Amino acid sequence: MAKTTYLEAIRQGLAEEMASDDRVYAIGEDIGLYGGAFKVTEGLLNRFGAERVIDTPVSETAIIGAAIGSAYLGMRPVAELQFIDFVACCFNILTNFAAKSRYRWGAGVPLVVRGPCGGGVSGGPFHSANPEAHFLHTPGLKIVEPSTAYDAKGLIKAAIRDDDPVLFLEHKLLYRRVQDEVPEEDYVVPLGQAVVRRPGDDVTIVTFGAMTHTALDAANQLAERDVAIEVIDLRTLSPLDYETILQSVAKTNKVIVLHEAQRTGGIGAEIAAAIAERGFEHLDAPPVRLASLDTPVPYSPALEAAFRPSVEQIVAAVEHLVEY
Amino acid sequence: MQKLKPARFLDPALDRTSIAPNETLSHDQLITWYRTMRLARACDKKLGALYRQGKIVGAVYLATGQEAICTGVVSLLERNDYFSTVARGLAGWFLRGVEPRHVIARWLGRDVPPSHGRELGLFFADIEHYGIAPYHNGSMASWIPSGAGFALAFKIRKQPRVYVAFTGDGATSPGDFYEGLNFAAIHKLALVVIVENNCFAYSTSTDKQMPVENVADRAPAFNIPSEVAFGNDIFEVRRVAKRAIDHARAGNGPYLVEFKTFRASGHGEHDDMGYVDADLREFWEQRDPLRLFAEYLDGPGGLGETAVKAIDDECTQVIEDAVVWAEAQPEASPDTVGDRLFAP
Ligand SMILES: Cc1ncc(C[n+]2csc(CCOP(=O)(O)OP(=O)(O)O)c2C)c(N)n1
Ligand SMILES: [Mg+2]
Repeated sequence: MAKTTYLEAIRQGLAEEMASDDRVYAIGEDIGLYGGAFKVTEGLLNRFGAERVIDTPVSETAIIGAAIGSAYLGMRPVAELQFIDFVACCFNILTNFAAKSRYRWGAGVPLVVRGPCGGGVSGGPFHSANPEAHFLHTPGLKIVEPSTAYDAKGLIKAAIRDDDPVLFLEHKLLYRRVQDEVPEEDYVVPLGQAVVRRPGDDVTIVTFGAMTHTALDAANQLAERDVAIEVIDLRTLSPLDYETILQSVAKTNKVIVLHEAQRTGGIGAEIAAAIAERGFEHLDAPPVRLASLDTPVPYSPALEAAFRPSVEQIVAAVEHLVEY
Repeated sequence: MQKLKPARFLDPALDRTSIAPNETLSHDQLITWYRTMRLARACDKKLGALYRQGKIVGAVYLATGQEAICTGVVSLLERNDYFSTVARGLAGWFLRGVEPRHVIARWLGRDVPPSHGRELGLFFADIEHYGIAPYHNGSMASWIPSGAGFALAFKIRKQPRVYVAFTGDGATSPGDFYEGLNFAAIHKLALVVIVENNCFAYSTSTDKQMPVENVADRAPAFNIPSEVAFGNDIFEVRRVAKRAIDHARAGNGPYLVEFKTFRASGHGEHDDMGYVDADLREFWEQRDPLRLFAEYLDGPGGLGETAVKAIDDECTQVIEDAVVWAEAQPEASPDTVGDRLFAP
């Protein structure tokens, strides 16, 4: 099987859904002629035409608003935000309108909002956000973030087929750095299911997105010292797959929650609290949170490296837990 | 540009105290529209009373004085055209077949579809049964971009259908209004924007909301046609709105109509309107849309005073019965509070 990048996998998934379901269309800034700022939608305009690959003005609220309106009529819009940071511009219409609609009126909004998130590429304060925590606190919205090409394709397809709004976070660091064997036949990765990326008995690391790879790097190093790390890749951040998390914690009794977004009020806080509430008797040590610093994302490589969680920090946290 | 300050409260070119159609209308049509407006007025009156009795909790918002606009506009729509409005368009809901008893039950928080106690009576959406589209109030004007989305779906499917977004004057200031209309204009979407300029956004008068005389003066930014008209004259509403709807349906893109009207009750019933001058109220009372319509029907319309009075009485009775029914409905069970967040 040929290797496919994370980015190409998303494009394939989107194109396959567009080909098999004429309700699916793409909308966003510079996604047509230009193929998107990161080229995720490259080639789609030629293949599907301007009515299904819609270039918009710089208007995040218009993009999401129009997507919502058409979704009410049974269309399946896939809206691109050029950088996920700009979700702040359409926060209102996404959280107050799309996410609340089914609860208010029983009117579902089958909408996918996708865009590049995350740092590690010197994007600086406005092009590096990991905004999941803002939306974790929004009932009615699902959140997905793949870490592999296989999952990227399977999850984008599942998100498009889902009957409710899904925020699909694509870690830009992974776009071209990660590649997998991706099947050509149709498949989905169901929403709401975490996966054990690497089994181990000593310490659980719960993570997702680019940090999955950082955790795996740390696990490789630690394996040389006979410390067996279990790495859980959440894949879907809302709703969370607590079963997989708690099962692992019941086995290892020690847990690190690792994410790239800032620490305070982050998704790690929620997961750690849930583990403490629901798995307290399994814990041999307090849950540890590893996350970025509570600052905007800095630009320079030296600062950004100091800002984001590193393999060294993970190794140190594991050592602390092992000795606890 | 010079700011025009109307000597009175309405541009004299728009002003009138008696109305008449310039199209041939049957008695059936006239009666349907008048009854719809009267029903809305009677319903609002009752809602106000229920609020003061403490039976409607939270707040209640009425549409008093604005009934002609939605009635006239909705009377022009095809069944598969969609529109959205809050309860300021109550008469428009009624014209589409929404029942007063259900409206009242929703205000009372009862377990009736589609919200089953989760949403204020202020908001109503039921595309399937009434072609009334969801209306988001978290942000004023968000119905413009989402309305563009409805119209976009019509366009993608090559359907000659129209989406009408009713909006207040105040809601033409937030950015959503510009993003939505800009997008709709670029893609020539069948989006008709009906602005109900009722002189106030909550307590703030229009001259403090915008640096232009009319909302319609904002339309050139989108290169779309716009008109200003008198919104308390149902015949004028039909005349002008028809142009807008025909234009959009023919694939020519959005159209904005601004109807001058007056919010004759408070922003909500908690609001005593202390900020509204007595002479302004008096001016608009003379131009109350139901009064103008009833006077036409009494006189040149040929219906006669007795027939008009009979409609009024019937509407009062319908609302009385509706309250009895609504009060007898159960509240939603507390067990359902977590339900229906996602598709089953
Ligand atoms: C973004 C936002 N800010 C404030 C409000 C609160 N609010 C609700 S209605 C309203 C005034 C609306 O005025 P207008 O658009 O003229 O409509 P009208 O009430 O006169 O019908 C305000 C400020 C809101 N819903 N959304
Ligand atoms: Mg107003």
